Amino acid sequence: MRTIRLDSVSLPPALRKRVSARTLVGLGVVWLTVFFIVPVLYLLVESLNFGDGALFAYYETALSGVYGETLVRTFLYAFLTTAICLVLGYLSAYYIAFKSKRAILLLSLVLLPLWIAIIIRFFGVRLFFISSGPVQQVFGTDFGFLFSRNGVILGLVCALLPFAVLPIYNSLRSIDDELINASHTLGASQLQTLRTVILPLSYPGVIAATLFVFILAAGSYLAPSFLGSSENLMMANRIADAQGYSVPLASAMSVVFTGGLLILVGLFNHFANVSEVLGDL
Amino acid sequence: MNERLERLGLLPVLGLVYVLLLLPVVIVVLTSFTVSEQPTIPYDGVTLEWYVELLYNSRIYDSIISSVIVGVAASLLAGAIGTATAFGFVRSEIPYKETLATVMLLPIMISPVIIGLALLRFGGTVGMSSGYPVIILTHTVLTFPFVFLIVRSRLLTFDTQLEDASRTLGASNIETVCNVTLPLLAPAVAAGMLLAFVISFGEFTATQFLTGAGSQTVPIYIYNQIGTGLSPEISALATVLVVVMIAAGYLGDRLT
Repeated sequence: MRTIRLDSVSLPPALRKRVSARTLVGLGVVWLTVFFIVPVLYLLVESLNFGDGALFAYYETALSGVYGETLVRTFLYAFLTTAICLVLGYLSAYYIAFKSKRAILLLSLVLLPLWIAIIIRFFGVRLFFISSGPVQQVFGTDFGFLFSRNGVILGLVCALLPFAVLPIYNSLRSIDDELINASHTLGASQLQTLRTVILPLSYPGVIAATLFVFILAAGSYLAPSFLGSSENLMMANRIADAQGYSVPLASAMSVVFTGGLLILVGLFNHFANVSEVLGDL
Repeated sequence: MNERLERLGLLPVLGLVYVLLLLPVVIVVLTSFTVSEQPTIPYDGVTLEWYVELLYNSRIYDSIISSVIVGVAASLLAGAIGTATAFGFVRSEIPYKETLATVMLLPIMISPVIIGLALLRFGGTVGMSSGYPVIILTHTVLTFPFVFLIVRSRLLTFDTQLEDASRTLGASNIETVCNVTLPLLAPAVAAGMLLAFVISFGEFTATQFLTGAGSQTVPIYIYNQIGTGLSPEISALATVLVVVMIAAGYLGDRLT
């Protein structure tokens, strides 16, 4: 398909008279503002204690004791999941992009699980380790996977691997073969080519993968509640629980969690240009 | 690096990745055929008993109907709003376009537990804290970014000369939109809506706050059942969903 210059694109004049393209964007922005941004910001208002007591009382609770621990644990789990997904995702994307002859088949097998509800996939992981499950029957033990940190991480890795493989694969595919050939022709070994040509050029994919996996892992509710114990709960579980007895506390935790996530993404943005990757989506 | 060494190192990793991706789904399907009362791998004989049980379970029917109502409504709404927004976004010059694109993707980045809580409070304020309207609204928010992304990427490669040709050949602008623009855009819109439907069908985290007596969706039903004990019936229900979702996914893939 030929490339087109975007600035030459315009809406048909008859339609432009009635509804301009700007109106359509405005519609979407207003809709999203009313039904998403305002409700989320309302949580911020609710988290501030405008009634009696100190203004930030709920933030003190949200940052201390069991809630503070959960916050740290959430980001630790997300970090571990991201690290495992990046290693497995990069190696498999590399194989699919450069070594396999059935790239399309292998790639659609990566995509396939995305169509299946996450609750079903976590249920499958749990079935694997239950007392009547195959792992117990073959090995006589579940290796401490079920209802532990390792179980939660395993579940998250299973669920989020596609979000690591796909962006990395895309960035590997978009590397010009000529650059790799040139590197070989100029005498670089395979390893040197990998280190100086392929790795740097696949950074955008790695950044996108890191971002997706980290954010989705940190916000997970089902992985801890299906595969963890009360020791492994993450922020989503605490927020959902707190909602039952103190909405301001749940709101404060939401703000703390989202704020923490934004700070981490901001730090990450300092080393890698996140907005560029997001713009390319 | 030696080519063969490279293959030997990569293949086990690739194998592990596919095991992690696919085995959880395979075991759910396998355990739905067990003769045991527990969801186990059927070593000694298979049965369709649990699928028959499904047919007699009215609560499962109700949950499937709830999920279909929510999924269809949310995908129609997200399809309409997402398409309109993507169309306007690509075909107009607006300030802060990059920033705005990021804002459109925010519902993917904020944890669904927070979106669920926010819309629970929002719904409560306007007098609808549970039931279909607020669930559909929530699912529309959650799936909107995906329709936006898919339709936008189609529009970015759209050959506008086709529209010019239509007008040059004497078609009015409305005729051009109806006969050229929309048909060319339709597969992307349909793919986006199918994705929205599948996401809505499987959504649990945000939905859990919003279901009332008559509006328990399938994931909520499955979650509650697993909480009270494991039965192969859940595997059978999950298998039915796997088939439906893969069929929808295949259809969506064919469209783009």
